[in-house]
Amino acid sequence: MAAAEGAPPAAVALRRSVGLATATATSAGLAFAAIDYLGVVSVMAYAPGATAALAILIGGVLVLLVAGIFSELNGLYPTAAGIRLYLARAVGYRTALSVTFTYMTTVVLVIAADAFLIGAAVRHILHQPSALAYVWIVVLLGLALTANLRGVRLAGWVQTLVTYTVLSGTAVLSVLALFHVGGAFHRPFDLFGKGSFSGIQALAFALFLYAAFEWVTTTAEEARTPRVITGALFIAPFLIWIVASLFALALAHLLPFSALHHSAYPQLLLGKAALGTVGELWMLALTVLTALNTFNGGFLVASRFIYAAAREGSLPRQFAMLNLNAVPWLAVVTLACVSAVVAAVVFATGEWLLLVAVGAAIEAGIYALGSLSLLILRRRETRERPFRLVAGRPLAAFGVVLFTALFLATGFSDPKDASHFSVAPIAVIAVLGALSTGYVLVFVPRLQAAAAARAAANRPRRRPQRPPAGVTEPAAGMGTPSVDA
Amino acid sequence: MADWDELAEALADYTISCNSNERLRKMQRDWSRTLHFACSDNETTFSMEVDRGEILSTPEGLLGIPDIVVRTHSETFCDMFWGDLNPVQKYLRGEITVQGSQEDVMRLDVISSVIWPDA
Repeated sequence: MAAAEGAPPAAVALRRSVGLATATATSAGLAFAAIDYLGVVSVMAYAPGATAALAILIGGVLVLLVAGIFSELNGLYPTAAGIRLYLARAVGYRTALSVTFTYMTTVVLVIAADAFLIGAAVRHILHQPSALAYVWIVVLLGLALTANLRGVRLAGWVQTLVTYTVLSGTAVLSVLALFHVGGAFHRPFDLFGKGSFSGIQALAFALFLYAAFEWVTTTAEEARTPRVITGALFIAPFLIWIVASLFALALAHLLPFSALHHSAYPQLLLGKAALGTVGELWMLALTVLTALNTFNGGFLVASRFIYAAAREGSLPRQFAMLNLNAVPWLAVVTLACVSAVVAAVVFATGEWLLLVAVGAAIEAGIYALGSLSLLILRRRETRERPFRLVAGRPLAAFGVVLFTALFLATGFSDPKDASHFSVAPIAVIAVLGALSTGYVLVFVPRLQAAAAARAAANRPRRRPQRPPAGVTEPAAGMGTPSVDA
Repeated sequence: MADWDELAEALADYTISCNSNERLRKMQRDWSRTLHFACSDNETTFSMEVDRGEILSTPEGLLGIPDIVVRTHSETFCDMFWGDLNPVQKYLRGEITVQGSQEDVMRLDVISSVIWPDA
């Protein structure tokens, strides 16, 4: 397989390919979900007032390191398999599979969290009893499930439009809140709220705001050139930084932290404080729009991952069953059901901030593993790549240490009280990791052995035997003639 | 290393299996694409024209502007078109490389998945 694995072939002009604007929108859209509004509040728990914007800035600088690392890895392996293939080449197949299964659970968490947050926001606006939020959750997930089963997909340009609308809409409302309501910049130092600043945890949660931006590497196969993905990886964090910083400053300007900390819809509170009912509806519309990206992107990414894993033999083959729209229906239905159950647990317990902490910790862990992969592959892969990170080895080593520290800081944070530690996030991750690893070590070998035995028993090799080299081939009788003959 | 004659034989069998499978044709009814295939070991290239799920032709050479480009060894292509290997396993290990949208890559695999579910 040397040639297929050798230097990436020159990009061929495809009839439909992804350019920089679409790739950037994909990256920013994957990162910026409704849960990010809560993510900003989580940053403010550790970095009060305007210092949250500073934490978001530093988080953005760290994310540029991640962008550099993933750009080089993507240049080496431009494939939809993404992090799974990087890890498989660096640390082995089983570890890669365990990590990817754990990573995919964050998709379920984000889908569930977004369903909960959007349901809560809609219920709030309609002044309905809190119990009705779960009805909205089920309705949203049901719509997403139906659309996916019918093979409905957002066109690329719609996804791009939605992403830029959400980002610009949030930024514009935040600017209006800062400049037109109470004149935040007349007394800018008032923006620096009171409270303790806990740098490492603030950074870890700031990193979460950019989480999943690197998933754009899974579209590498449809990019016009490899540099398109590199460009998107560096531009998208810049867009998110602007929007998240403005949003944090506007929150600090208009709302006391005590009003935000226990709210599932801080964006609606900001909209109301800035522009009254119009602002509230404005932010509700943007929140609902984020669902299009989360449900479209999240369901597609996760269900196709499940399909590929089932086809490969790493999950029961029933997950690869297709309906007449060529959609892996069992994968999609399972995803929707698990998301509904997780959303119900969140709804019943009110622990949505725990999801933020778990997501932030897993993301930091993935960045540490990405850095480790680059460190190892720098030694093993000497071939040219379209992007090479300057000082790649020391930066990758730095990334391993830094993101591991951030993983631990978030893993032991108390999502509800910044002054306390908690083992809840790390415990959730440990359980998810143990389940994934146990499954990969115990069940995957059995599944693969069963698949091999089934194939051997049911289906002899179809390809005709070739005569040995030097023996004249018979004139006829080998298979069917070519359709082009 | 497989030559064009072997590939053409495999492609002919693949075409018949695909076009005669009614369920597959129904699934792929909205899928019309031009595919290019390039062997990484012997520089053989060939194309595939698919119209609403029906494979119309599989000529040698690169014809038209592609929606998908697939690259791997000629032997892998042969085994894949005969249904003797699971393309997803090769793809996830980086042994088959593809240019094209994720949806199209999946649709291509759907063909193998439906006509050879045990591969």
